[in-house]
Amino acid sequence: MRRIFFVAIFSLLSIGLLVSLGGSSARAEDLTPDQTAQVKANCVSIKNSLSQLHASDALLRVNRGQVYEAMASKLMDNFNSRLALNSLDNKAMTTVTSSYRNALNNFRVNYIAYEQKVSAAIRIDCSSQPNSFHNTVQEARKLRATVHSDVLKLHRIIDDYRSSVGDFLLNYERLSE
Amino acid sequence: MDKHTLPPVVTFSTDELSFWDKHRLSLLLIITVAIAIVMTSISIVMYNSSGAAQLDLSRPGYRSVSGKIDENNAIDTYSATGEVNKNTIEEFMKLYDAQATKAKAVDAFNGDPLNPEVLEFGAPANE
Repeated sequence: MRRIFFVAIFSLLSIGLLVSLGGSSARAEDLTPDQTAQVKANCVSIKNSLSQLHASDALLRVNRGQVYEAMASKLMDNFNSRLALNSLDNKAMTTVTSSYRNALNNFRVNYIAYEQKVSAAIRIDCSSQPNSFHNTVQEARKLRATVHSDVLKLHRIIDDYRSSVGDFLLNYERLSE
Repeated sequence: MDKHTLPPVVTFSTDELSFWDKHRLSLLLIITVAIAIVMTSISIVMYNSSGAAQLDLSRPGYRSVSGKIDENNAIDTYSATGEVNKNTIEEFMKLYDAQATKAKAVDAFNGDPLNPEVLEFGAPANE
């Protein structure tokens, strides 16, 4: 029984060691020695730039978020409700509004992931852990691109809703004649 | 029974009290502090995971931008009640177009400021 216990412990330790060695060697390939030296040398200025970006993106998130939220809550929802109260077909508009809500939710969730990754990068000491810092910044870069694609999607849906209302008006005029 | 007989006096000795009886106040304080720690931890987790932390510009890292929130982005509300006719629909479209222009005015999070060639391997700003 004791032998099985020791074998199990040894196996677990061996696997852990292999995984950690494999992971560290993979990460070490990310930066060349020159690049590592550059990151270490410019660590303070890189951190400052990252902190400035972190703050300006937070302001952007607050300002844009308010506008995007208000588009749905003050315009789309109210117009849909008004059509429904007048027993008019608002299906096209509610479908677009639903897509908009989903896109807005994705924007929120993806921004949280992006902000947390940038905060994690800021916490890493790039002079002692340049590879780890670089990898975290690259992950944040991908997440920022995702947030940007969410913004473009929101803009597209804003246009879609306008088209739906335009179509509705055309139908309304045709039926009113 | 003689009416002048006194009732038996019941006396308690501290030796008869249990451990928890003796440390009731300490137990109350420990439980209170434990509940406070648990509730505070839950609040912090919720604050960080809900997205509230990302919108809180009063945090130390955001002080430089906390006064720059755009107050002119307020969007006019369209009434959810009332009749629907050509005029009201056109009124909505006019309002919507104005607000959509505001919403799309900024291509937020564009560019690639985290590109390593720009952020990490580019020449430092002070050189």
